Amino acid sequence: MLSADEWNVLATSFGVALRAVIWALPIATLAAYALSRQSFPGKSLLDGLVHLPLVLPPVLIGFLLLLLLGRRGIIGAWLEQNFGVHLAFTAEGASLATAVMTFPLMVRAIRLAFEATDPALFEEAAVLRAGPFDRFLSVAMPLAGPGFLAGAVTAFAAGLGEFGAVITFASNVPGETQTLPLAIYAALQLPGGEAQALRLAGFSFTLAVAGLIVAETLQAWSRRRLQQ
Amino acid sequence: MTSLQMDIEQRHGDFVLRAAFETPLTGVTAVFGPSGSGKSQLLCTLAGLRQLQSGRIALGGRVLDDVAARVHVPPHLRGIGLVFQHTRLFPHLSVEKNLLYAQRRADQFKPLMTLDQATRDFDIAELLRRPVRNLSGGERGRVALARAILSAPQLLLLDEPFAALDGPRRTSFLVKLRHIHEKFGLPLVVVTHQIDDVAALADHVVGLRSGKVIAHGALASTATLSPFQSLLDQHDVGAVAPAHAFRGATSVCASHWIRADHVLLATQQPVGLSARNIWEATVIDIKQEQNSLLVSIDAPFGRLFSRVTQDAAADLALNPGQRVWAIIKAHAA
Repeated sequence: MLSADEWNVLATSFGVALRAVIWALPIATLAAYALSRQSFPGKSLLDGLVHLPLVLPPVLIGFLLLLLLGRRGIIGAWLEQNFGVHLAFTAEGASLATAVMTFPLMVRAIRLAFEATDPALFEEAAVLRAGPFDRFLSVAMPLAGPGFLAGAVTAFAAGLGEFGAVITFASNVPGETQTLPLAIYAALQLPGGEAQALRLAGFSFTLAVAGLIVAETLQAWSRRRLQQ
Repeated sequence: MTSLQMDIEQRHGDFVLRAAFETPLTGVTAVFGPSGSGKSQLLCTLAGLRQLQSGRIALGGRVLDDVAARVHVPPHLRGIGLVFQHTRLFPHLSVEKNLLYAQRRADQFKPLMTLDQATRDFDIAELLRRPVRNLSGGERGRVALARAILSAPQLLLLDEPFAALDGPRRTSFLVKLRHIHEKFGLPLVVVTHQIDDVAALADHVVGLRSGKVIAHGALASTATLSPFQSLLDQHDVGAVAPAHAFRGATSVCASHWIRADHVLLATQQPVGLSARNIWEATVIDIKQEQNSLLVSIDAPFGRLFSRVTQDAAADLALNPGQRVWAIIKAHAA
């Protein structure tokens, strides 16, 4: 059975990953849609920006977030002054760091679904008097629906395991920002903590695999749906 | 002036579409030409799906594209319906929802028919609940056409709408299109590479080859011109004749394409012949072809062509101005 502390870690992980998905989903959807359409000025720039978290060291992402959103950061100071919001070292901050890190994965999955949609259907919708936003809602979204869910699930599963950016930006506060990988790291720091670390690693592994299976199932559903 | 005016130049890779013509909106216009002549591209440009590179398109006085004046009306605001050759039904919607998709977006325009009428007219009541992936080619075509009508367009473009149909189904579809045009006064522009479709359906014709308009105008007068005839395969060379000129044929189409190969000539009035359609005509012109002669004759209803062998022409001693009898088997019509 799980101990109270372990439940706490799992709850924190789920909370952080879920909020990260919610933060990232609308922006990732728009970015994926834009990237899946024909070329526009700044497309490669957007493509590069989206993929940046994939190639930058996570600790650097965390550091950049601190510089921007930390209490003395450009945006962070402004947020605290005007709204009393501070993100660094909080659960919200952990979800933000996770959102940034899982953003490329999410965009890629959703973009695949958008790109698999026959562009002819958009033309058809246009001659049936549907405007651009209408086409996005009535054709692109429903057809990409399962791929869209797959992107969310993949990002959620990956978000459960986000480490470097989270620990840098949100630190390792039990009950607040201590997610599974951070708890594993903390356990390893303690003498004789290997057994605990191994248990937590088991959870982490199981969740990640379950997430992948769900995402794959959704992708398969998506492909079936798009075949006429 | 209620006409469609196009004067465009559109480059796509090595292919250049240069089309300058005007066609009245009071009839059916057929865009005719061999495959690869740019017919579909012309329709897509007209519907606004391709950004025009140079030129101008106006529909009944409304400017849809004018590159010089930086006017481009996007496709969803043009009120031009388009039914594609490969019918593009939405795979995530049932047949009924596909129809409703069009109807809901047209509610501020004067409808051409109600949903009930459309399902009855196009014989799709049985299909309404079905997902579109389970439809046959012919069924898809009917649903796509019904959907286009429900979007209440001012002009309907059809790209090879008969591709999936043959025989009697094709004829009944042609009749249905003609009926839609007459009942709703809906102008149609139909792309086809079958000359029989042109004769059965069109009042006006635009002949295209390699991206260029080489003939356009009223069908009866344009079809006999040599630039238009040059678009035809040798065995398709012929002329258009109104259906009412024929006896013995239970025809449902307004007119027919009469191939030169199906017209026999006699220098004396034939007797004791099973053919019911024999007309007195005058030889206008005789043209040498590779192994035969193409004889143009003036029949009571207009120009016809007859293809005869060299030997036959010599035996009959055919000459311009000569009186002949033209014989057509009714089933050839």
